[in-house]
Amino acid sequence: MTGARRRILVVEDDPVTAEQLADLFANHGYQVDLAADGNVGLSRGRSAEYAVMTIDRMLPGIDGITVIRQLRKDGIITPALILSALGEVDDRVRGLRAGGDDYLVKPFASVELLARIEALARRSTVVLKETVLQAGDLELDLVSRTAKRSGREIALRPREFEVLWYLVRNQGRVVSRAMLLQHVWDLHFDPTTNIIDVYVGRVRRKVDGQHTYPLIHTVRGVGFCLRAPS
Amino acid sequence: MLLAETLRSSTLKLALLAIGLFGSIMFALIGYVYWSTASFVRSRSDRTIAAEQMILKDAYERSGREGLIATISQRIADGRLESGVYLLVDASLVPVSGNLQFWPKVLGDARGWANVAQKLKPDATDQSLLRVAFATLPDGSHLLVGRTIYDLDTFVGAIRTALAGTIGFLLVLAGVAAFLITRRTVGRIEAINTTSRAIMQSGLGQRMPLRGTRDEWDRLAQNLNLMLSRIEELMTEVKQVSDNVAHDLRTPLTRMHARLEKAHDRPRDSARDQALISDTMGDLSTVLGMFSSLLRIAQIEGNSRSDAFCTVNLAEIAGDVVELFDAAAEELGGRIKIQSQQRVLVTGDRDLLFDAIANVVDNAIKFGGEAGRVTVDVVERDGIPLVAIADQGPGIPLEQHTHVLKRFYRLEHSRHASGNGLGLSLVAAVAKLHDARIEMLDNAPGLVFRLWFPRCAAEQSRS
Repeated sequence: MTGARRRILVVEDDPVTAEQLADLFANHGYQVDLAADGNVGLSRGRSAEYAVMTIDRMLPGIDGITVIRQLRKDGIITPALILSALGEVDDRVRGLRAGGDDYLVKPFASVELLARIEALARRSTVVLKETVLQAGDLELDLVSRTAKRSGREIALRPREFEVLWYLVRNQGRVVSRAMLLQHVWDLHFDPTTNIIDVYVGRVRRKVDGQHTYPLIHTVRGVGFCLRAPS
Repeated sequence: MLLAETLRSSTLKLALLAIGLFGSIMFALIGYVYWSTASFVRSRSDRTIAAEQMILKDAYERSGREGLIATISQRIADGRLESGVYLLVDASLVPVSGNLQFWPKVLGDARGWANVAQKLKPDATDQSLLRVAFATLPDGSHLLVGRTIYDLDTFVGAIRTALAGTIGFLLVLAGVAAFLITRRTVGRIEAINTTSRAIMQSGLGQRMPLRGTRDEWDRLAQNLNLMLSRIEELMTEVKQVSDNVAHDLRTPLTRMHARLEKAHDRPRDSARDQALISDTMGDLSTVLGMFSSLLRIAQIEGNSRSDAFCTVNLAEIAGDVVELFDAAAEELGGRIKIQSQQRVLVTGDRDLLFDAIANVVDNAIKFGGEAGRVTVDVVERDGIPLVAIADQGPGIPLEQHTHVLKRFYRLEHSRHASGNGLGLSLVAAVAKLHDARIEMLDNAPGLVFRLWFPRCAAEQSRS
């Protein structure tokens, strides 16, 4: 979050929700523009450079998906997060993920929303080319798919490696359970049980077990965060 | 009432239309038969007369007028022509020979055919209808040969009466039959209508009357009754679910309400308030989670087979589930293992199938007893894809098997465990969407939960 504040466009017709979203993003270092319907959203989206945008699924005038389609047709690639009250089994919304966009079902936790917005905003600027990722004394070799901590190899199953990889890639940022499920298992639903916690718990035991500084932290109610000691 | 309904009935109108149509065709056909019979009979009679005339002409040519007279007398005496009449008159129309009294006035002296009415004998009271052939002989006298056509007319008349009678009888019979059948149909429909109205007015308790004839009406009534039973069942279920929702939601909501009320009335204390807020958020997320689960189930139940369905490998999905739950089983001191074929293909939605299998596995681990073993089998049995999840816990009593699939239903021994009683409802909804059958068996001890999937279309075309 160095340099200029990143700009975010919020297209939301409910004034209370719009206000809450604006506050949330402003408090986390974004410069927020609001649009109350699809048409305004479309013209704002065309006229300015945004790092990321959130858009309501159902809007007066043009609906959210159509706005995104229209923007893509005009060559605007600002990543979008659709906020849907319709639930998960909506094929049209689900199709967005294939296009690099994302969706979140209402109601959602603000931390989850922020985590996803961060992930989207970063995707538009950073291209990963490294073959070795590091977080403190943890080292991931993406070619041989092995992990080492303080030079000692950690025995990980393939899925466990992927979990760790995703956490390291997003180090310093909160990763929600649903995001893990989505990126590691390619599953698109919110787990109702604590099963992801248990799974990540095992990864954490393997990674942090005999070390003084734990790398993987649980963010209560949301997910996890991998932080290297500064 | 029934009469008016019957007369208004479209069945009767159709039947009458059919009767009219077939009546016309029958009328035309019988008319043709009548006409051709009559003309056949007439032409045969005319041929007989013409032959007789030829014989007489021959006699005239061979032996002159005397011979002709003799021949006429001879043939009359022999009765060669049945009910025949003969008359020979001279040029001034004075009878010379024959059994007819005088030359019919209407005939000229030319030759030809005619129908004439004339008394056969002077003392006869009625005139007879005659069919005659007449000719002028070379010496100027005239010869007439013919027969009374009374018999012929009687015959043709009899045919006509018979045909007309048949048509009339059939029309009346068809009309009566149409009316009776229509009245019966209308009667059955009216019975169904009456019951439907009664159901709309006073509730789902009533059923369509059956006659026990097992005809199409009984089958219709039976199906309607089955449908009514299903609707009644669903209504009861909805009521139960809303009762359960009310109960399960009210508990955390009441807790939150009480907590907030208490906090509202006492002075602010940041440490206490912090704890209160996080407790309230915890309860709130329980409520929201329950809502999301309910919505998700409702959405899956409301969906028809989605276009997004594709061929997926159940073995792989179940493998992922087992891998994910491995850590959880370990934590509880249990073990989970999978035995599966390489490829068990079904047509479906990977997310939903994963979620469904995960829910069953989650239950198996949670309720499978301490240090329990959970086994997941994925096989194709006789070409039918099967996922079986077996545990060694207390199992589910047989009479509860259908209940556990209902929303918010929880077994006594699971009341204290975490969960919201929606897991197996989701499994049932996903199974239904995939046309899969759920089977629960006793594992002695424990439960075997089986999901039988329909054969995969891609797999079928391959083999």
